[in-house]
Amino acid sequence: MINLVRNEMLKLLRKKRLYVIILIIAFLVPLFTYAQFKEIQEQREKLGNQDWRTVLQQEITDTQNRLSSSRIQDEWRKYLKIRLSQQQYYLENDIDPRAPGAPTFMRIFVENSIDLLLPLLVMVIVADLVSSEASGGTIKLLLTRPVKRWRILLSKYLAMLLSVSFIVLSVAVLSYGISGVVFGYGGWNMPLLTGFTVSGDELLTDHVHIVPQWQYILMEFGLVWYVCMIVGTLTFMLSVLLRSTAAVMGIMLASLIAGAILANMVASWESAKYFFMVNLNLTNYVSGMATPIEGMSLGFSMSVLAVWGIAGFIIAFVTFSKRDIY
Amino acid sequence: MKKYTLTIVSIVSIAATLLWLFGLGWTLQDQFSATKKMEQPKVKTESSTAKKQEGTLTIFALGDSLTRGTGDADGKGYTGYLTDRLKDKTNQDINLLNTAIKGETSRGLLKQLQQSEIQRQTKQADVIVMTIGGNDLFQQGAALESLDMNAINGKKQIYLNNVKKIYSQLRELNKDAVIYHVGLYNPFSNMPDASTTSSIVRDWNFQSAETAAGYENIVYVPTFDLFQLQVENYLYTDQFHPNTEGYKLIAERVASLINFEQEEKKS
Repeated sequence: MINLVRNEMLKLLRKKRLYVIILIIAFLVPLFTYAQFKEIQEQREKLGNQDWRTVLQQEITDTQNRLSSSRIQDEWRKYLKIRLSQQQYYLENDIDPRAPGAPTFMRIFVENSIDLLLPLLVMVIVADLVSSEASGGTIKLLLTRPVKRWRILLSKYLAMLLSVSFIVLSVAVLSYGISGVVFGYGGWNMPLLTGFTVSGDELLTDHVHIVPQWQYILMEFGLVWYVCMIVGTLTFMLSVLLRSTAAVMGIMLASLIAGAILANMVASWESAKYFFMVNLNLTNYVSGMATPIEGMSLGFSMSVLAVWGIAGFIIAFVTFSKRDIY
Repeated sequence: MKKYTLTIVSIVSIAATLLWLFGLGWTLQDQFSATKKMEQPKVKTESSTAKKQEGTLTIFALGDSLTRGTGDADGKGYTGYLTDRLKDKTNQDINLLNTAIKGETSRGLLKQLQQSEIQRQTKQADVIVMTIGGNDLFQQGAALESLDMNAINGKKQIYLNNVKKIYSQLRELNKDAVIYHVGLYNPFSNMPDASTTSSIVRDWNFQSAETAAGYENIVYVPTFDLFQLQVENYLYTDQFHPNTEGYKLIAERVASLINFEQEEKKS
Protein backbone atom coordinates (compact mmCIF):
# COMPACT_ATOMS: atom_id res chain seq x y z
CA MET A 1 0.00 0.00 0.00
CA ILE A 2 2.76 2.41 0.97
CA ASN A 3 4.43 1.78 -2.36
CA LEU A 4 1.19 2.50 -4.19
CA VAL A 5 0.80 5.80 -2.39
CA ARG A 6 4.44 6.62 -3.08
CA ASN A 7 3.81 5.93 -6.69
CA GLU A 8 0.80 8.27 -6.74
CA MET A 9 2.72 11.01 -4.93
CA LEU A 10 5.45 10.67 -7.53
CA LYS A 11 2.93 11.15 -10.31
CA LEU A 12 1.55 14.19 -8.54
CA LEU A 13 4.96 15.75 -8.18
CA ARG A 14 5.87 14.97 -11.77
CA LYS A 15 2.86 16.94 -12.92
CA LYS A 16 4.25 19.97 -11.10
CA ARG A 17 0.77 21.03 -10.03
CA LEU A 18 1.84 21.47 -6.42
CA TYR A 19 4.52 23.95 -7.46
CA VAL A 20 2.02 25.91 -9.48
CA ILE A 21 -0.24 26.16 -6.48
CA ILE A 22 2.57 27.28 -4.23
CA LEU A 23 3.43 29.88 -6.81
CA ILE A 24 -0.16 31.11 -6.93
CA ILE A 25 -0.25 31.48 -3.16
CA ALA A 26 3.17 33.12 -3.10
CA PHE A 27 1.85 35.60 -5.63
CA LEU A 28 -1.47 36.31 -3.92
CA VAL A 29 -0.23 36.75 -0.36
CA PRO A 30 1.90 39.85 -1.09
CA LEU A 31 -1.12 41.34 -2.84
CA PHE A 32 -3.33 40.90 0.20
CA THR A 33 -0.57 41.98 2.52
CA TYR A 34 -0.25 45.20 0.62
CA ALA A 35 -4.01 45.75 0.62
CA GLN A 36 -4.17 45.20 4.35
CA PHE A 37 -1.22 47.49 4.91
CA LYS A 38 -2.84 50.24 2.87
CA GLU A 39 -6.06 49.91 4.81
CA ILE A 40 -4.33 50.28 8.16
CA GLN A 41 -2.40 53.25 6.88
CA GLU A 42 -5.47 55.00 5.56
CA GLN A 43 -7.30 54.49 8.81
CA ARG A 44 -4.46 56.05 10.74
CA GLU A 45 -4.37 58.99 8.41
CA LYS A 46 -8.08 59.59 8.66
CA LEU A 47 -8.35 59.44 12.40
CA GLY A 48 -4.93 60.84 13.14
CA ASN A 49 -4.91 58.66 16.16
CA GLN A 50 -3.16 55.40 16.54
CA ASP A 51 -5.18 53.97 19.35
CA TRP A 52 -7.12 50.98 18.10
CA ARG A 53 -9.90 51.62 20.62
CA THR A 54 -10.70 54.92 18.99
CA VAL A 55 -10.73 53.28 15.58
CA LEU A 56 -12.97 50.48 16.75
CA GLN A 57 -15.28 52.89 18.55
CA GLN A 58 -15.53 54.94 15.38
CA GLU A 59 -16.45 51.82 13.47
CA ILE A 60 -19.09 50.97 16.05
CA THR A 61 -20.60 54.43 15.79
CA ASP A 62 -20.62 54.23 12.02
CA THR A 63 -22.42 50.91 12.20
CA GLN A 64 -24.93 52.31 14.66
CA ASN A 65 -25.61 55.13 12.27
CA ARG A 66 -26.14 52.76 9.42
CA LEU A 67 -28.50 50.71 11.54
CA SER A 68 -30.59 53.76 12.32
CA SER A 69 -31.30 54.27 8.65
CA SER A 70 -34.67 52.88 7.67
CA ARG A 71 -33.75 51.86 4.14
CA ILE A 72 -31.59 48.97 5.19
CA GLN A 73 -32.18 45.36 4.21
CA ASP A 74 -33.18 42.95 6.95
CA GLU A 75 -30.36 40.57 6.17
CA TRP A 76 -27.78 43.24 6.25
CA ARG A 77 -29.23 44.70 9.44
CA LYS A 78 -28.94 41.34 11.15
CA TYR A 79 -25.36 40.99 10.05
CA LEU A 80 -24.48 44.48 11.23
CA LYS A 81 -26.17 43.99 14.58
CA ILE A 82 -24.20 40.85 15.30
CA ARG A 83 -20.95 42.45 14.27
CA LEU A 84 -21.79 45.43 16.39
CA SER A 85 -22.35 43.47 19.57
CA GLN A 86 -19.21 41.52 18.90
CA GLN A 87 -17.09 44.60 18.45
CA GLN A 88 -18.62 46.05 21.57
CA TYR A 89 -17.71 42.89 23.44
CA TYR A 90 -14.13 43.04 22.25
CA LEU A 91 -13.92 46.65 23.28
CA GLU A 92 -15.32 46.00 26.71
CA ASN A 93 -12.78 43.26 27.28
CA ASP A 94 -9.99 45.48 26.03
CA ILE A 95 -8.95 43.11 23.27
CA ASP A 96 -7.89 44.34 19.86
CA PRO A 97 -9.10 41.75 17.35
CA ARG A 98 -7.03 43.21 14.58
CA ALA A 99 -3.72 44.12 16.17
CA PRO A 100 -1.48 43.93 13.13
CA GLY A 101 0.97 41.07 12.93
CA ALA A 102 1.71 38.12 10.71
CA PRO A 103 -0.49 35.73 12.75
CA THR A 104 -3.41 38.15 12.50
CA PHE A 105 -2.92 38.39 8.76
CA MET A 106 -2.79 34.61 8.53
CA ARG A 107 -6.05 34.36 10.41
CA ILE A 108 -7.85 36.96 8.32
CA PHE A 109 -6.46 35.42 5.14
CA VAL A 110 -7.77 31.92 5.81
CA GLU A 111 -11.07 33.22 7.11
CA ASN A 112 -11.58 34.92 3.78
CA SER A 113 -10.30 32.16 1.54
CA ILE A 114 -11.93 29.15 3.17
CA ASP A 115 -15.04 29.22 1.01
CA LEU A 116 -13.61 29.85 -2.42
CA LEU A 117 -9.88 30.31 -2.90
CA LEU A 118 -8.63 27.26 -1.05
CA PRO A 119 -11.29 24.90 -2.42
CA LEU A 120 -10.33 26.10 -5.90
CA LEU A 121 -6.68 25.34 -5.31
CA VAL A 122 -7.54 21.89 -3.99
CA MET A 123 -9.73 21.32 -7.01
CA VAL A 124 -6.87 22.07 -9.38
CA ILE A 125 -4.85 19.25 -7.85
CA VAL A 126 -7.61 16.70 -7.46
CA ALA A 127 -9.63 17.19 -10.64
CA ASP A 128 -7.46 15.04 -12.88
CA LEU A 129 -6.26 12.44 -10.40
CA VAL A 130 -8.42 9.70 -11.91
CA SER A 131 -9.90 11.27 -15.02
CA SER A 132 -6.51 11.94 -16.57
CA GLU A 133 -5.75 8.23 -16.35
CA ALA A 134 -9.02 7.55 -18.10
CA SER A 135 -8.56 10.12 -20.84
CA GLY A 136 -4.89 9.28 -21.28
CA GLY A 137 -5.57 5.57 -21.44
CA THR A 138 -3.04 4.74 -18.73
CA ILE A 139 -5.79 3.39 -16.54
CA LYS A 140 -5.64 0.07 -18.39
CA LEU A 141 -1.99 -0.33 -17.52
CA LEU A 142 -2.77 0.52 -13.94
CA LEU A 143 -5.57 -1.99 -13.65
CA THR A 144 -3.76 -4.90 -15.25
CA ARG A 145 -1.55 -5.10 -12.15
CA PRO A 146 -2.45 -7.80 -9.66
CA VAL A 147 -3.77 -5.28 -7.20
CA LYS A 148 -7.39 -4.91 -6.19
CA ARG A 149 -9.09 -1.91 -7.75
CA TRP A 150 -10.18 -0.36 -4.48
CA ARG A 151 -6.57 -0.41 -3.29
CA ILE A 152 -5.51 1.55 -6.32
CA LEU A 153 -8.25 4.08 -5.77
CA LEU A 154 -7.46 4.25 -2.07
CA SER A 155 -3.83 5.00 -2.83
CA LYS A 156 -4.99 7.85 -5.03
CA TYR A 157 -7.28 9.07 -2.30
CA LEU A 158 -4.46 9.03 0.24
CA ALA A 159 -2.23 10.91 -2.15
CA MET A 160 -5.04 13.45 -2.43
CA LEU A 161 -5.25 13.70 1.35
CA LEU A 162 -1.53 14.28 1.64
CA SER A 163 -1.50 16.96 -1.02
CA VAL A 164 -4.45 18.76 0.61
CA SER A 165 -2.53 18.83 3.88
CA PHE A 166 0.47 20.08 1.98
CA ILE A 167 -1.49 22.90 0.34
CA VAL A 168 -2.98 24.03 3.62
CA LEU A 169 0.46 23.93 5.19
CA SER A 170 1.99 25.99 2.41
CA VAL A 171 -0.80 28.55 2.80
CA ALA A 172 0.06 28.78 6.50
CA VAL A 173 3.80 29.02 5.98
CA LEU A 174 3.69 31.41 3.05
CA SER A 175 1.13 33.77 4.53
CA TYR A 176 3.09 33.90 7.77
CA GLY A 177 6.48 34.28 6.14
CA ILE A 178 5.53 36.90 3.58
CA SER A 179 3.20 39.09 5.62
CA GLY A 180 5.64 39.05 8.53
CA VAL A 181 8.03 41.17 6.51
CA VAL A 182 5.53 44.02 6.71
CA PHE A 183 3.61 43.38 9.92
CA GLY A 184 6.27 41.69 12.06
CA TYR A 185 6.30 38.10 13.19
CA GLY A 186 4.95 38.53 16.70
CA GLY A 187 1.46 38.27 18.11
CA TRP A 188 1.01 34.54 18.69
CA ASN A 189 -0.13 35.02 22.25
CA MET A 190 -2.61 37.76 21.61
CA PRO A 191 -5.94 36.88 23.24
CA LEU A 192 -9.00 36.39 21.06
CA LEU A 193 -12.60 35.65 21.85
CA THR A 194 -14.45 32.64 20.57
CA GLY A 195 -17.63 30.74 21.39
CA PHE A 196 -20.15 33.34 20.28
CA THR A 197 -23.48 31.84 19.39
CA VAL A 198 -25.86 33.55 17.06
CA SER A 199 -29.56 33.21 17.60
CA GLY A 200 -31.79 35.25 15.33
CA ASP A 201 -30.17 38.65 15.31
CA GLU A 202 -28.90 38.34 18.85
CA LEU A 203 -25.34 37.50 19.74
CA LEU A 204 -25.19 35.23 22.77
CA THR A 205 -22.05 35.51 24.83
CA ASP A 206 -22.66 32.79 27.41
CA HIS A 207 -19.94 30.50 26.14
CA VAL A 208 -17.49 33.13 25.07
CA HIS A 209 -13.97 32.47 26.24
CA ILE A 210 -10.50 33.66 25.50
CA VAL A 211 -8.02 31.63 23.53
CA PRO A 212 -4.52 32.68 22.54
CA GLN A 213 -4.15 33.47 18.87
CA TRP A 214 -1.94 30.47 18.08
CA GLN A 215 -4.63 28.12 19.30
CA TYR A 216 -7.27 30.07 17.42
CA ILE A 217 -5.26 29.81 14.23
CA LEU A 218 -4.62 26.12 14.72
CA MET A 219 -8.34 25.58 15.20
CA GLU A 220 -9.20 27.54 12.09
CA PHE A 221 -6.66 25.68 10.03
CA GLY A 222 -8.15 22.44 11.26
CA LEU A 223 -11.50 23.58 9.90
CA VAL A 224 -9.93 24.79 6.67
CA TRP A 225 -8.37 21.40 6.23
CA TYR A 226 -11.70 19.71 6.87
CA VAL A 227 -13.43 21.86 4.25
CA CYS A 228 -10.65 21.23 1.75
CA MET A 229 -10.90 17.49 2.36
CA ILE A 230 -14.63 17.50 1.67
CA VAL A 231 -14.22 19.53 -1.49
CA GLY A 232 -11.32 17.25 -2.41
CA THR A 233 -13.46 14.15 -1.88
CA LEU A 234 -16.28 15.49 -4.02
CA THR A 235 -13.88 16.47 -6.79
CA PHE A 236 -12.35 13.04 -6.48
CA MET A 237 -15.74 11.45 -6.98
CA LEU A 238 -16.41 13.53 -10.09
CA SER A 239 -12.97 12.65 -11.35
CA VAL A 240 -13.92 8.97 -11.10
CA LEU A 241 -17.31 9.48 -12.73
CA LEU A 242 -16.22 11.65 -15.65
CA ARG A 243 -13.52 10.96 -18.16
CA SER A 244 -12.91 14.60 -18.96
CA THR A 245 -10.89 16.71 -16.53
CA ALA A 246 -12.38 19.88 -17.95
CA ALA A 247 -15.88 18.67 -17.08
CA VAL A 248 -14.80 17.88 -13.52
CA MET A 249 -13.33 21.33 -13.13
CA GLY A 250 -16.34 22.97 -14.70
CA ILE A 251 -18.82 21.30 -12.38
CA MET A 252 -16.81 21.97 -9.24
CA LEU A 253 -16.12 25.54 -10.24
CA ALA A 254 -19.77 26.16 -10.94
CA SER A 255 -20.94 24.71 -7.65
CA LEU A 256 -18.32 26.52 -5.58
CA ILE A 257 -19.12 29.86 -7.12
CA ALA A 258 -22.83 29.13 -6.89
CA GLY A 259 -22.25 28.53 -3.18
CA ALA A 260 -20.62 31.90 -2.76
CA ILE A 261 -23.51 33.58 -4.52
CA LEU A 262 -26.19 31.54 -2.78
CA ALA A 263 -24.78 32.31 0.65
CA ASN A 264 -25.64 35.94 0.00
CA MET A 265 -29.22 35.40 -1.03
CA VAL A 266 -30.66 32.20 0.37
CA ALA A 267 -31.88 33.49 3.71
CA SER A 268 -35.49 32.83 2.84
CA TRP A 269 -34.96 29.46 1.18
CA GLU A 270 -34.35 27.35 4.21
CA SER A 271 -33.68 23.94 2.69
CA ALA A 272 -30.74 25.42 0.79
CA LYS A 273 -28.75 24.86 3.94
CA TYR A 274 -28.34 21.20 2.98
CA PHE A 275 -26.13 22.10 0.02
CA PHE A 276 -22.49 21.51 0.77
CA MET A 277 -21.38 24.76 -0.83
CA VAL A 278 -23.40 26.95 1.52
CA ASN A 279 -21.73 25.33 4.50
CA LEU A 280 -18.10 25.93 3.61
CA ASN A 281 -17.60 28.95 5.83
CA LEU A 282 -16.82 27.01 8.99
CA THR A 283 -14.46 29.61 10.42
CA ASN A 284 -17.37 32.02 10.73
CA TYR A 285 -18.71 29.92 13.57
CA VAL A 286 -15.48 30.22 15.48
CA SER A 287 -15.31 33.98 15.06
CA GLY A 288 -19.05 34.44 15.63
CA MET A 289 -20.41 35.85 12.39
CA ALA A 290 -24.00 35.76 11.23
CA THR A 291 -24.98 32.56 9.43
CA PRO A 292 -26.41 32.78 5.92
CA ILE A 293 -29.51 30.80 6.91
CA GLU A 294 -31.14 30.65 10.27
CA GLY A 295 -30.56 27.48 12.27
CA MET A 296 -27.09 26.72 10.97
CA SER A 297 -24.37 25.97 13.48
CA LEU A 298 -20.89 24.52 13.49
CA GLY A 299 -22.22 21.06 14.29
CA PHE A 300 -24.84 21.30 11.59
CA SER A 301 -22.47 22.47 8.87
CA MET A 302 -19.85 19.90 9.74
CA SER A 303 -22.43 17.12 9.64
CA VAL A 304 -23.82 18.26 6.30
CA LEU A 305 -20.31 18.35 4.89
CA ALA A 306 -19.54 14.96 6.39
CA VAL A 307 -22.63 13.42 4.78
CA TRP A 308 -21.69 14.83 1.37
CA GLY A 309 -18.10 13.69 1.83
CA ILE A 310 -19.01 10.15 2.85
CA ALA A 311 -21.53 9.86 0.04
CA GLY A 312 -18.94 11.05 -2.47
CA PHE A 313 -16.39 8.61 -1.10
CA ILE A 314 -18.76 5.64 -1.36
CA ILE A 315 -19.96 6.55 -4.85
CA ALA A 316 -16.38 6.93 -6.04
CA PHE A 317 -15.30 3.53 -4.72
CA VAL A 318 -18.38 1.64 -5.84
CA THR A 319 -18.28 3.03 -9.37
CA PHE A 320 -14.57 2.52 -9.71
CA SER A 321 -14.74 -1.12 -8.65
CA LYS A 322 -17.69 -2.00 -10.84
CA ARG A 323 -17.02 -0.06 -13.98
CA ASP A 324 -16.01 -1.66 -17.24
CA ILE A 325 -12.82 -0.26 -18.57
CA TYR A 326 -12.28 -0.51 -22.29
CA MET B 1 17.15 14.16 -6.50
CA LYS B 2 13.56 13.37 -7.46
CA LYS B 3 13.37 10.67 -4.86
CA TYR B 4 14.68 13.05 -2.27
CA THR B 5 11.97 15.63 -3.00
CA LEU B 6 9.34 12.95 -2.93
CA THR B 7 10.36 11.75 0.52
CA ILE B 8 10.49 15.24 1.93
CA VAL B 9 7.12 16.25 0.50
CA SER B 10 5.56 13.03 1.75
CA ILE B 11 6.92 13.36 5.26
CA VAL B 12 5.95 17.04 5.47
CA SER B 13 2.48 16.21 4.20
CA ILE B 14 2.01 13.45 6.75
CA ALA B 15 3.15 15.75 9.56
CA ALA B 16 0.81 18.47 8.28
CA THR B 17 -2.09 16.01 8.19
CA LEU B 18 -1.51 15.14 11.82
CA LEU B 19 -1.25 18.80 12.76
CA TRP B 20 -4.50 19.73 11.03
CA LEU B 21 -6.29 16.74 12.49
CA PHE B 22 -5.15 17.89 15.88
CA GLY B 23 -6.41 21.40 15.16
CA LEU B 24 -9.75 20.03 14.02
CA GLY B 25 -10.05 17.90 17.14
CA TRP B 26 -9.21 20.87 19.30
CA THR B 27 -11.90 22.95 17.58
CA LEU B 28 -14.50 20.30 18.29
CA GLN B 29 -13.42 20.01 21.89
CA ASP B 30 -13.31 23.79 22.32
CA GLN B 31 -16.54 24.68 20.58
CA PHE B 32 -18.75 21.89 21.86
CA SER B 33 -17.75 21.60 25.48
CA ALA B 34 -20.33 23.84 27.07
CA THR B 35 -18.89 24.75 30.42
CA LYS B 36 -16.32 27.36 29.62
CA LYS B 37 -16.10 30.33 31.86
CA MET B 38 -15.01 33.65 30.61
CA GLU B 39 -12.13 34.97 32.62
CA GLN B 40 -11.54 38.66 32.41
CA PRO B 41 -8.15 39.73 31.15
CA LYS B 42 -6.27 40.75 34.23
CA VAL B 43 -4.17 43.64 33.12
CA LYS B 44 -5.39 46.46 30.99
CA THR B 45 -2.93 47.45 28.32
CA GLU B 46 -1.06 50.63 28.99
CA SER B 47 -2.94 52.98 26.71
CA SER B 48 -6.34 52.05 28.08
CA THR B 49 -5.85 54.49 30.91
CA ALA B 50 -6.81 58.01 30.05
CA LYS B 51 -3.85 59.84 28.68
CA LYS B 52 -4.14 63.13 26.92
CA GLN B 53 -2.20 63.63 23.77
CA GLU B 54 0.28 66.42 24.09
CA GLY B 55 0.13 69.26 21.60
CA THR B 56 -3.18 68.31 20.06
CA LEU B 57 -6.60 69.61 20.82
CA THR B 58 -9.06 66.75 21.09
CA ILE B 59 -12.65 67.60 20.31
CA PHE B 60 -15.06 64.95 21.42
CA ALA B 61 -18.45 65.18 19.75
CA LEU B 62 -21.48 63.25 20.88
CA GLY B 63 -25.21 63.37 20.42
CA ASP B 64 -27.64 62.97 17.55
CA SER B 65 -27.90 63.46 13.80
CA LEU B 66 -26.95 67.14 14.00
CA THR B 67 -23.55 66.25 15.37
CA ARG B 68 -23.30 63.41 12.88
CA GLY B 69 -23.94 65.86 10.07
CA THR B 70 -27.10 64.52 8.47
CA GLY B 71 -28.14 66.79 5.64
CA ASP B 72 -24.70 68.18 4.90
CA ALA B 73 -23.67 67.50 1.33
CA ASP B 74 -20.08 66.88 2.42
CA GLY B 75 -21.11 64.80 5.41
CA LYS B 76 -19.00 66.94 7.70
CA GLY B 77 -21.68 68.51 9.84
CA TYR B 78 -20.97 71.40 12.15
CA THR B 79 -18.21 69.40 13.88
CA GLY B 80 -16.33 69.13 10.59
CA TYR B 81 -16.63 72.82 9.76
CA LEU B 82 -15.77 73.67 13.34
CA THR B 83 -12.57 71.69 13.06
CA ASP B 84 -11.75 73.38 9.76
CA ARG B 85 -12.23 76.82 11.25
CA LEU B 86 -10.18 76.07 14.31
CA LYS B 87 -7.40 74.67 12.17
CA ASP B 88 -7.27 77.99 10.33
CA LYS B 89 -7.10 79.95 13.51
CA THR B 90 -4.57 77.99 15.53
CA ASN B 91 -1.43 76.06 14.84
CA GLN B 92 -2.50 73.22 17.04
CA ASP B 93 -3.29 69.81 15.67
CA ILE B 94 -6.95 69.12 16.08
CA ASN B 95 -8.27 65.68 16.59
CA LEU B 96 -12.00 65.18 16.13
CA LEU B 97 -13.73 62.15 17.59
CA ASN B 98 -17.34 61.89 16.60
CA THR B 99 -19.48 59.30 18.32
CA ALA B 100 -22.86 60.79 17.50
CA ILE B 101 -25.62 58.47 16.40
CA LYS B 102 -28.54 59.45 14.22
CA GLY B 103 -31.82 59.45 16.10
CA GLU B 104 -30.16 59.47 19.50
CA THR B 105 -32.39 60.63 22.34
CA SER B 106 -31.23 61.84 25.73
CA ARG B 107 -31.93 58.41 27.13
CA GLY B 108 -29.86 56.76 24.42
CA LEU B 109 -26.98 59.12 25.03
CA LEU B 110 -27.08 58.40 28.74
CA LYS B 111 -26.83 54.71 27.94
CA GLN B 112 -24.01 55.30 25.49
CA LEU B 113 -22.09 57.11 28.21
CA GLN B 114 -21.98 53.90 30.24
CA GLN B 115 -19.70 52.28 27.65
CA SER B 116 -16.13 52.11 28.81
CA GLU B 117 -14.66 53.30 25.54
CA ILE B 118 -16.91 56.36 25.39
CA GLN B 119 -15.88 57.11 28.96
CA ARG B 120 -12.23 56.77 28.08
CA GLN B 121 -12.59 59.17 25.17
CA THR B 122 -14.50 61.61 27.34
CA LYS B 123 -11.59 61.63 29.75
CA GLN B 124 -9.16 62.45 26.96
CA ALA B 125 -11.18 65.29 25.51
CA ASP B 126 -10.14 68.92 25.67
CA VAL B 127 -13.41 70.20 24.33
CA ILE B 128 -16.75 68.43 24.29
CA VAL B 129 -19.49 69.42 21.85
CA MET B 130 -22.89 67.83 21.86
CA THR B 131 -26.41 68.12 20.52
CA ILE B 132 -29.18 66.31 22.25
CA GLY B 133 -32.88 66.80 22.75
CA GLY B 134 -33.99 67.26 19.17
CA ASN B 135 -35.24 63.71 18.95
CA ASP B 136 -36.79 63.90 22.41
CA LEU B 137 -38.89 66.85 21.34
CA PHE B 138 -39.55 66.36 17.64
CA GLN B 139 -39.38 62.60 17.20
CA GLN B 140 -38.42 63.14 13.57
CA GLY B 141 -41.04 65.80 13.10
CA ALA B 142 -44.04 63.70 14.06
CA ALA B 143 -44.59 64.90 17.61
CA LEU B 144 -45.23 68.54 17.02
CA GLU B 145 -48.19 67.84 14.79
CA SER B 146 -50.58 67.30 17.63
CA LEU B 147 -49.12 70.09 19.79
CA ASP B 148 -50.44 68.45 22.91
CA MET B 149 -48.92 70.55 25.65
CA ASN B 150 -49.30 67.90 28.33
CA ALA B 151 -47.40 65.34 26.31
CA ILE B 152 -44.70 67.85 25.47
CA ASN B 153 -44.29 68.89 29.08
CA GLY B 154 -44.00 65.27 30.10
CA LYS B 155 -41.29 64.72 27.52
CA LYS B 156 -39.52 67.82 28.66
CA GLN B 157 -39.35 66.63 32.25
CA ILE B 158 -37.87 63.29 31.18
CA TYR B 159 -35.43 65.06 28.92
CA LEU B 160 -34.30 67.53 31.59
CA ASN B 161 -33.80 64.71 34.01
CA ASN B 162 -31.64 62.83 31.54
CA VAL B 163 -29.67 65.91 30.60
CA LYS B 164 -28.85 66.53 34.23
CA LYS B 165 -27.52 63.02 34.49
CA ILE B 166 -25.55 63.43 31.26
CA TYR B 167 -23.97 66.66 32.50
CA SER B 168 -23.04 65.12 35.84
CA GLN B 169 -21.62 62.06 34.17
CA LEU B 170 -19.51 64.11 31.76
CA ARG B 171 -18.27 66.34 34.56
CA GLU B 172 -17.43 63.37 36.68
CA LEU B 173 -15.36 61.89 33.88
CA ASN B 174 -13.70 65.08 32.79
CA LYS B 175 -13.46 68.04 35.11
CA ASP B 176 -11.67 70.47 32.82
CA ALA B 177 -13.07 70.21 29.31
CA VAL B 178 -15.57 72.89 28.43
CA ILE B 179 -18.83 71.37 27.25
CA TYR B 180 -20.69 73.11 24.47
CA HIS B 181 -24.25 71.96 24.30
CA VAL B 182 -25.62 73.19 20.99
CA GLY B 183 -29.25 74.17 21.41
CA LEU B 184 -32.33 73.58 19.31
CA TYR B 185 -33.68 75.69 16.49
CA ASN B 186 -37.21 75.52 15.21
CA PRO B 187 -37.27 73.80 11.84
CA PHE B 188 -40.97 74.56 11.54
CA SER B 189 -40.78 78.32 11.88
CA ASN B 190 -42.23 78.89 8.43
CA MET B 191 -45.14 76.56 9.01
CA PRO B 192 -48.66 77.61 9.98
CA ASP B 193 -48.25 76.85 13.67
CA ALA B 194 -44.96 78.71 13.90
CA SER B 195 -45.81 80.82 16.90
CA THR B 196 -46.78 77.80 18.98
CA THR B 197 -43.86 75.63 17.92
CA SER B 198 -41.43 78.47 18.38
CA SER B 199 -42.60 79.10 21.88
CA ILE B 200 -42.25 75.41 22.68
CA VAL B 201 -38.70 75.34 21.35
CA ARG B 202 -37.85 78.59 23.14
CA ASP B 203 -39.10 77.19 26.41
CA TRP B 204 -37.20 73.95 25.81
CA ASN B 205 -34.01 75.90 25.17
CA PHE B 206 -34.56 78.10 28.19
CA GLN B 207 -35.00 75.15 30.54
CA SER B 208 -31.95 73.43 29.08
CA ALA B 209 -29.86 76.56 29.50
CA GLU B 210 -31.04 76.84 33.09
CA THR B 211 -29.93 73.29 33.71
CA ALA B 212 -26.58 73.91 32.07
CA ALA B 213 -26.07 76.97 34.24
CA GLY B 214 -26.07 74.73 37.28
CA TYR B 215 -22.76 73.22 36.19
CA GLU B 216 -19.34 74.67 35.77
CA ASN B 217 -18.04 75.26 32.27
CA ILE B 218 -21.07 74.06 30.43
CA VAL B 219 -22.08 76.46 27.69
CA TYR B 220 -25.53 76.17 26.16
CA VAL B 221 -25.04 77.51 22.65
CA PRO B 222 -28.19 79.07 21.17
CA THR B 223 -29.00 78.38 17.54
CA PHE B 224 -32.61 79.45 17.59
CA ASP B 225 -31.84 82.94 16.29
CA LEU B 226 -29.65 81.63 13.45
CA PHE B 227 -32.54 79.83 11.88
CA GLN B 228 -35.28 82.21 12.93
CA LEU B 229 -35.67 84.36 9.85
CA GLN B 230 -34.71 82.45 6.74
CA VAL B 231 -35.19 78.94 7.92
CA GLU B 232 -35.91 77.57 4.44
CA ASN B 233 -32.48 78.68 3.20
CA TYR B 234 -30.69 76.76 5.86
CA LEU B 235 -32.62 73.53 5.86
CA TYR B 236 -31.89 70.35 4.02
CA THR B 237 -34.56 68.89 1.73
CA ASP B 238 -36.01 66.87 4.60
CA GLN B 239 -37.11 70.24 6.07
CA PHE B 240 -35.69 69.20 9.39
CA HIS B 241 -31.91 68.94 9.37
CA PRO B 242 -29.68 71.89 8.48
CA ASN B 243 -28.01 71.97 5.08
CA THR B 244 -24.37 72.83 4.47
CA GLU B 245 -25.01 76.53 5.02
CA GLY B 246 -26.92 75.84 8.20
CA TYR B 247 -24.11 73.72 9.59
CA LYS B 248 -21.58 76.39 8.73
CA LEU B 249 -23.59 78.88 10.76
CA ILE B 250 -23.60 76.61 13.78
CA ALA B 251 -19.90 75.85 13.35
CA GLU B 252 -19.06 79.53 13.19
CA ARG B 253 -20.87 80.22 16.39
CA VAL B 254 -19.25 77.39 18.31
CA ALA B 255 -15.84 78.19 16.85
CA SER B 256 -15.95 81.75 18.09
CA LEU B 257 -16.79 80.52 21.57
CA ILE B 258 -13.95 78.01 21.65
CA ASN B 259 -11.33 80.49 20.60
CA PHE B 260 -12.55 82.93 23.18
CA GLU B 261 -12.18 80.20 25.72
CA GLN B 262 -8.62 79.41 24.72
CA GLU B 263 -7.53 83.02 25.00
CA GLU B 264 -9.14 83.32 28.37
CA LYS B 265 -7.07 80.45 29.63
CA LYS B 266 -3.83 81.97 28.41
CA SER B 267 -4.27 85.35 30.03
